[in-house]
Amino acid sequence: MSRTSRTRRWTSTAAAALLVVVGLTACGSDSKDTTAATEAPASTETTVAAAAAAETTVAAASETTAAAVTETTAAAASGDQKAGSNGEINVFLIPSPSSTAIQSFIPAFEKKTGIKVNFSETPYGEAHQKQLLSYQQKSGAYDVAQFDNTFLAAFGAAKAMAPLDDYLKGSSEYDISDFSPGQQDYGKYNGATYGLTLSTEPMIQWYRTDLYTELGLKPATTWDEYLANAQAVKKSGKADGAIVGFGPGVSWWWMTLVWSFGGKLYDENLNPTVNTPEALKATKYLKSLLDVAPKGAISTNGDDVTAKFVSTDIGSMIQYSGYYGFMLDPKTNKNLGKIETAKMPSGGTDITHLAGWNIGIPDDSKNKDKAWQFLEFVLGKSNAKAFLKSGAAAIGRTSIITDADLLKEQPYLATLDIPSSSRVERYPQLKVWPEMDKTIVDAITNVLTGKDDPQKGLDSLNEKLKPILASEKS
Amino acid sequence: MFTLPAWLLILALFAVPIAVGVYLSTRNATIGAFSPPRSVGFENYRRDVANATFREAVRTTLVIAILGLTMQLPIGVGLGVLLHRNLRGTRLFRSVLLLPMLLTPVAIGLMWRFILDTDLGVANWFLSKVGSSGFDWFGDRHAAVASIVLVDSWQSIPFVMLLTIAGLAGLPTEPFEAAVVDGAGPLRIFVSLTLPMLRRVLLVILLIRLIDVLKLFDVIFILTRGGPGTATQTVGLLNYNTGFNFLQTSRAAAIGVAVTILTIPLFLVWRRASRSEP
Repeated sequence: MSRTSRTRRWTSTAAAALLVVVGLTACGSDSKDTTAATEAPASTETTVAAAAAAETTVAAASETTAAAVTETTAAAASGDQKAGSNGEINVFLIPSPSSTAIQSFIPAFEKKTGIKVNFSETPYGEAHQKQLLSYQQKSGAYDVAQFDNTFLAAFGAAKAMAPLDDYLKGSSEYDISDFSPGQQDYGKYNGATYGLTLSTEPMIQWYRTDLYTELGLKPATTWDEYLANAQAVKKSGKADGAIVGFGPGVSWWWMTLVWSFGGKLYDENLNPTVNTPEALKATKYLKSLLDVAPKGAISTNGDDVTAKFVSTDIGSMIQYSGYYGFMLDPKTNKNLGKIETAKMPSGGTDITHLAGWNIGIPDDSKNKDKAWQFLEFVLGKSNAKAFLKSGAAAIGRTSIITDADLLKEQPYLATLDIPSSSRVERYPQLKVWPEMDKTIVDAITNVLTGKDDPQKGLDSLNEKLKPILASEKS
Repeated sequence: MFTLPAWLLILALFAVPIAVGVYLSTRNATIGAFSPPRSVGFENYRRDVANATFREAVRTTLVIAILGLTMQLPIGVGLGVLLHRNLRGTRLFRSVLLLPMLLTPVAIGLMWRFILDTDLGVANWFLSKVGSSGFDWFGDRHAAVASIVLVDSWQSIPFVMLLTIAGLAGLPTEPFEAAVVDGAGPLRIFVSLTLPMLRRVLLVILLIRLIDVLKLFDVIFILTRGGPGTATQTVGLLNYNTGFNFLQTSRAAAIGVAVTILTIPLFLVWRRASRSEP
């Protein structure tokens, strides 16, 4: 081999190796966040938020949390126990700040009770399928399981989770009365409670204080005001007006508007009602928001909405409160300190669109009482503050969201105070919801992109939903 | 007797899953159901295959396949012919051009999703530097399909190039030397000699790529999730949504069986092309 040829080979090999390394590094660094971005959990305290919160809130609060948990445990415990001396439980978690927070309580729980806690985390995209398969086999693999509220109906209908009502009745430590009536029902399916609230994430209004102050705007109380604010911001040329999710998760915002304008997705007999005047008004309103949104908004999913709001200049967004942790991260939020929250505007009907995680005890668990002990310890009143400070998305206990000190630290907690006058709406508790959701997304996208006229698109959607909702009855 | 292990392996890995898939497609099994599934005959085929959504998914798949091949074949073959000439820097270019093929489709999807992001992407940033307001790369059906074709081509062109180079290396040199002696120019040689002699290789490339595109999933899932709406929902994505989002195992099996049947003619042509003489 000649010297020139050898040199050429080395040069090409080195260049190739360098490019592979650069390429893989770039992909590697992005993949964590974007994997989450491609998923669309209803509990918006996603892995993106997990990254943000894990690096900021958790880091900042870790000392406080540790101290708080230790203090609480020390007071409650009569003596240290060896982990495993009283058996063990298996906990199924989904990566999120809530999951991280739960994990931080395990050592204290083991010390207090002697019950060893084994936990595993499964990514959102496969978590519920894995749980369902496990419950079908009745393997008793998990004693505590985190799940998204969108799967409550599937789990409840299949009786995959154990009813928690008897436990709740006898627990002054958990104290269900510390939640507003709407939130008490968050884990209920057909009247039975299958999941405790692991996060309370109403859809709220987020706005840029710098832009609003400069333009003399106030947070909107009605949808008309909200659109007017967005148009004013857009017209000023300083920023885009507003953003919501117009892409794969558009159903979240669309159904919020339908409810807010007084409509419903289906009636008591499961007949679809998505082509009513109220639904039409909501659809047209959503389309009008697209005009004041950033250019690429039509393809934004739930996480993209927040990512764009914190990294570009947009006057406001309507988004779940679970993203609050994301706002605290100076690495991702270029608008740090310029974002505040307010209640979601109203369209005539006072509704609160509530989302968030649930956590419960699988029906096939062989350690239900120990599992309840764990849930009571982590999510009970005594550790409620420590749980919040450990970086989790807030759980809307009245004692937490009205706590003056906490409100000073996290002003958004005020938006979790859901008055009894407000009708709480959550993802339709239907087994067929995932298919219904996709059908809605497809139809609304066709309207937003101008492929279909709004009324025609909604009429067509109504027809498509009929067989889907009919199969819910079977 | 000696082929028995191979047959058993084929039976276990292919025949049994396909048979189970066909059987499953006639039941009403779902991941969420806790009662035993029952037979529903061809109801799943009526509901999920003989409908507009499936037809649209097939059409979208074919559009992406045809546009992709139209882009990938000429560029891949062109690069293959160029690199076969062993010009200066060939080794370096060959190594660099093969890189996209080495990356996983998910990583490629993520990378391009960032590159093509309308507000934050580097593609529109570059365009803004030359006075353009940029594109909404995933904003409507045409743009989203074009973006997917672009990304798929970026990854697949090296494969076409590599097979072309392999095909060219296997060609006899005499006809080319004779053509040069007869005074034929490079273009004439390419059209009259290279392409006809490569036709079998090209047919194999075409069929492999076509089958690849028919099962294209990851890149589309990451880039558009089938949107906006159903604009980029291919049969693979439709199958995934039905099985893993809607938890409808049997209905997804029916779609899978239908897609398998649709690809059989392609397989037969490929088999014939592989066996025929050059």
